[in-house]
Amino acid sequence: MPLLFIVGSIFSGFSDNFYHLYDNLLLEYSLNSLYLVLGVSFLVTLIGVSTAWLVTFFNFYGRNFFQWSLILPLAVPSYLLAYVFTEFFDHSGTANNILRNILDAERSVIFFPNIRTIFGAIVVFGFTLYPYVYMVSRVAFMNIPSSVIEASLLLGKNSISTLFNLSIPLIRPAIIAGITLVAMETLADFGAVQHFAIPTFTTGIFRTWTGLYDLTTALQLSTILLLVIFIFLTLERGSRNKIRYANSATTNNSFKPVQLKKFNNAIAFVVCFLPVFIGFFLPVFELLNWSSQVDTLISTKTIIAAKNTLYISFTAAMLTCLIALLINFAVRSFGLPQPINDLLSAGYAVPGLILAVGITKMFTNIDTLSSNLDIFITGSIFGLILAYIIKSYAISNNVLNSSFTSIPISLDESAQTLGSNRLSLLKNIHVPLLRTGLITAFLLVMGELIKELPATLILRPFNFDTLSVSVYLLASEERMFEAAFPGLVIIIFGLIPIYFLNNLILSNNK
Amino acid sequence: MKDFLKVKNIDLSFGKEKILNGLNLEIEKGSVVAITGESGSGKTSLLRVICGLESPSNGEIVLDTQTLFNDKISVPTEKRNIGLVIQEKVLFPHLDVRKNIEFGISKKNSKEDLSNEIMEKLNISDLAKKYPHELSGGESQRVALGRSIIMTPKVLMLDEPFTGLDKKLKTKIYPVIKSILQDNKITSLMVTHDLNEVRALADKCFNLQSGKLVEV
Repeated sequence: MPLLFIVGSIFSGFSDNFYHLYDNLLLEYSLNSLYLVLGVSFLVTLIGVSTAWLVTFFNFYGRNFFQWSLILPLAVPSYLLAYVFTEFFDHSGTANNILRNILDAERSVIFFPNIRTIFGAIVVFGFTLYPYVYMVSRVAFMNIPSSVIEASLLLGKNSISTLFNLSIPLIRPAIIAGITLVAMETLADFGAVQHFAIPTFTTGIFRTWTGLYDLTTALQLSTILLLVIFIFLTLERGSRNKIRYANSATTNNSFKPVQLKKFNNAIAFVVCFLPVFIGFFLPVFELLNWSSQVDTLISTKTIIAAKNTLYISFTAAMLTCLIALLINFAVRSFGLPQPINDLLSAGYAVPGLILAVGITKMFTNIDTLSSNLDIFITGSIFGLILAYIIKSYAISNNVLNSSFTSIPISLDESAQTLGSNRLSLLKNIHVPLLRTGLITAFLLVMGELIKELPATLILRPFNFDTLSVSVYLLASEERMFEAAFPGLVIIIFGLIPIYFLNNLILSNNK
Repeated sequence: MKDFLKVKNIDLSFGKEKILNGLNLEIEKGSVVAITGESGSGKTSLLRVICGLESPSNGEIVLDTQTLFNDKISVPTEKRNIGLVIQEKVLFPHLDVRKNIEFGISKKNSKEDLSNEIMEKLNISDLAKKYPHELSGGESQRVALGRSIIMTPKVLMLDEPFTGLDKKLKTKIYPVIKSILQDNKITSLMVTHDLNEVRALADKCFNLQSGKLVEV
């Protein structure tokens, strides 16, 4: 529904603001978004594929640690790394100070260029989003039968040649799926590009709405971005189908890792260490450093924001999992068409900002229609919960769908022949058997929602700050030290689903 | 004796493939009927149709005096009072043996007595607290059988229930099953490809060929 309100905006005529944007800014928005997507895609492919290749096929110092730690940056939202980078590489930031001390240089000497550029944004997105490519590449590499790799080696190809001529072509659909997810995340981002003052579609939509107060033009801009997002979504779906096909054709007998020696061992260590360090440990250490420099570490505002965050993400995660459970049950037991479920899952691809714009438009229309009832839903908590459910349905659906698949249909039939109706089947058989899946889905959704910024920023009720909003507001006032602790709490919450993701990858390995 | 289960003119197709073609079957109360046939001939589909797990395109099914299926009526599976024991693992993995057996009983008072009685008859009383993953193939099949019998179904469907059990265990289990079915006067329809099983348990045997039954 919110998406219909967005797309419907193109039929309501174009205002002067739209023509102004079209003539002066649309090209800049498009080019910046394009540069970002291309740059980030290149960087995440380089980092994600190389690290996945190293930890899958080679044994080197720290391999066991890197196997799981390489996905830690997923716990760090891009906007948080952007804030850390800005301060860290600033004229008076930690990086310049360390080098000045080491080299005994003057305070006027600057070693690092301005990070608040499009290249800085590419680095930020690259180091927070590469785990998407790493995870899919790692699983796909593990699914290549050892006999295929051994055949290549026996035919005289070395490891590098086998990687480029055999392994990468074999896992190409997985890499493309990972890159398209990253591209969608990059296009949907608001916090990092806003902090770096890079004009993109999302910042343009935000400015048009909150600066020009022109909701219709903001919706029309959203439609253009939505169109691009859906092209990426189609590409990702296509690649995912190919991954399934490729996996079904292989047997799971992964290659025994080759021990690397001396120089190669050190190179492998550095290649894997840098992304984990830059994407996770650097922001965590810097946030800890900032936190130690404030007088009141845990302010009342932070406690209230943490409570709000837990309350809203807990409620939304519960509702999302309940809806996903009921819909998957309806698909399994009532013959609800699976494409309806797939359509609901497409919500994850819609940028939070666009979703917020669509929901606001929908709610204002509902409020106008029901004005005589004296009930207003615009600006209420419902909008935010609805956005969260739409955004995170795909995560819970993916987990519950595969959990449902693992329950043999013969159990349903047995229960039915023993007199169980559908409700009793769900209550007494499915729910107990889906317990692990339900908990996993709940934690994954909650971890994702705790980080969410753009939709929360726009849809939160008056005077209702969450941790992500607190961090954003403090950072936009350059109060970085105060923003550090709520930022750390976000990362800690984000580590919970990472633990489950790691278990999934390790169980796949077994 | 009067026919207890009547299956008339049943047609069933999967896509363009016709599985059952005007199939007729009549079973007397308390008798055990075996159905044999090649793989893919539609033996399992016939049982699923009678249970209500598949919908035929045509025909009629009458159990005792109740019409279960015709062109106007289709009684839901859970209301047909037909038990089904199949070759696959069908025990609920999160419930122990006793709870599996008691799953279908709603009468709280007599639950324990009934399950004790059934477990004793099937010689599985010592397994009451075990979970399905702790059971052997033969034990699992006996629990599945007990779970169906405790419901006192009007008809019990057995779909190759002893596949996968070794010969020694089968020879031991046949007389037990036979006496339980006879003692409780349970009308049964059994699908099998094992002629020893037919000899040991069945009163009558049909072969399913080209979607129709031929008495052997």
